[in-house]
Amino acid sequence: MLITLDRHSGQPVFRQIVEQVRFQVASGMLEPGSAIPSTRDLAGRLGVNPMTVSKAYAALEQEGVLDRRPGLALVVRARTDAARTNEQREELARLLRPAALAAEQLGLSADDALAVFRKALAERGGSNELE
Amino acid sequence: MNSNDACVTADRLAKHFGNAVALDAITFAVPRGRVVGLLGRNGSGKTTLLRALQGAVIPTSGSCSLFGTRSVDLGDADLARVGVVHQENRFLPWMSGRAHLDYVRSFFERWDLRREAQLVAALDLDLAERIGAMSPGAVQKLAIVTATCHRPDVLLLDEPAAALDPMAREALLQSLLDVLREDEPAIVISSHALRDVERTVDWILCLDRGRVVQDESFDTLQERYAEWRVTTQNGALPAHFAETWVLAQAAEGRQAVLTVESPEDHRALFEQRYHARVESRPISLERMFPLWMARRKP
Repeated sequence: MLITLDRHSGQPVFRQIVEQVRFQVASGMLEPGSAIPSTRDLAGRLGVNPMTVSKAYAALEQEGVLDRRPGLALVVRARTDAARTNEQREELARLLRPAALAAEQLGLSADDALAVFRKALAERGGSNELE
Repeated sequence: MNSNDACVTADRLAKHFGNAVALDAITFAVPRGRVVGLLGRNGSGKTTLLRALQGAVIPTSGSCSLFGTRSVDLGDADLARVGVVHQENRFLPWMSGRAHLDYVRSFFERWDLRREAQLVAALDLDLAERIGAMSPGAVQKLAIVTATCHRPDVLLLDEPAAALDPMAREALLQSLLDVLREDEPAIVISSHALRDVERTVDWILCLDRGRVVQDESFDTLQERYAEWRVTTQNGALPAHFAETWVLAQAAEGRQAVLTVESPEDHRALFEQRYHARVESRPISLERMFPLWMARRKP
């Protein structure tokens, strides 16, 4: 599990961890059932207080992203395909909200903004499903 | 918080020097495993507080304690569980760094030679040098090693990075986190280097003129304040926003930049009221700090 922190972004470190784990789970980079590094291990690698990692893991557990089994490592919770698709949409929506605001500030119509997004997808070679 | 969990406590702690009030009825508690950034302007009482916690300053009223024992009553066994880095460290100038550490080690049962070697290497400290010939930075490094190798349960650090270069600073912060993972001490670190503080601490205790003006988890503070870039589509924004939660502002025509408190509580209503769109960003500790200074009524 690879996490990178921006220590001067102003966003709480525990929240950065939560968002990156959530994204990796939604994208399938972290598969259901796979074990998550221990609090001390991740804290050591990231150079943060173990309490910060505990806080992130507790939040992820409460959101249902991770499962805690007594005496064992935390694992990624199993999810249905429908739930997974839903998570993927939510992740993308989260990332697009600032872009929607920018589109509005720039005075682009919804159609113009969608065209820009389609083009960006096409540049990645992933436009087919949305056409 | 259960008082058994708190390693470091102050209860209406006050210290007057003549007519000057250095500490004005301060109350707080620090549990194990917490790294507290002790902030404040020059003369705000930080050093007096750290000295009172060690029992080196006798309170005028109120009290402070380590491990549940009043600081003024701390015995040798209690003091052996405390590590201290002073702003100015006076070590014997004729000793080498090596001789100094061997001398200090003789007072402690649980001096950790492995940690000593790690720290000396990480901080790039030359122990062969005579203390009198050391640079201020090297003396500060030696003070850090001196304060941490007996594996203290409480670490009190008064501007420990002030004389350190950027690489040594980084090594110090990393070493503190290693110490934290191994021993889970309570750490109180006073500093003006807010960007360093921001990286390491999980709690902020901010003093101003001897009073506590902030005692809060850093995560909470990071989400309590925000900078808003406000744009309105129809008409101009007011020249001045009178909302009490707007802490600082600069407006020009259809745009404004506001520093706000509790952003998510107010955003929807604000956008509606001013027909405005808000782009919210977190602010750094450097930007928060002046807010706490300004809020105090003289």
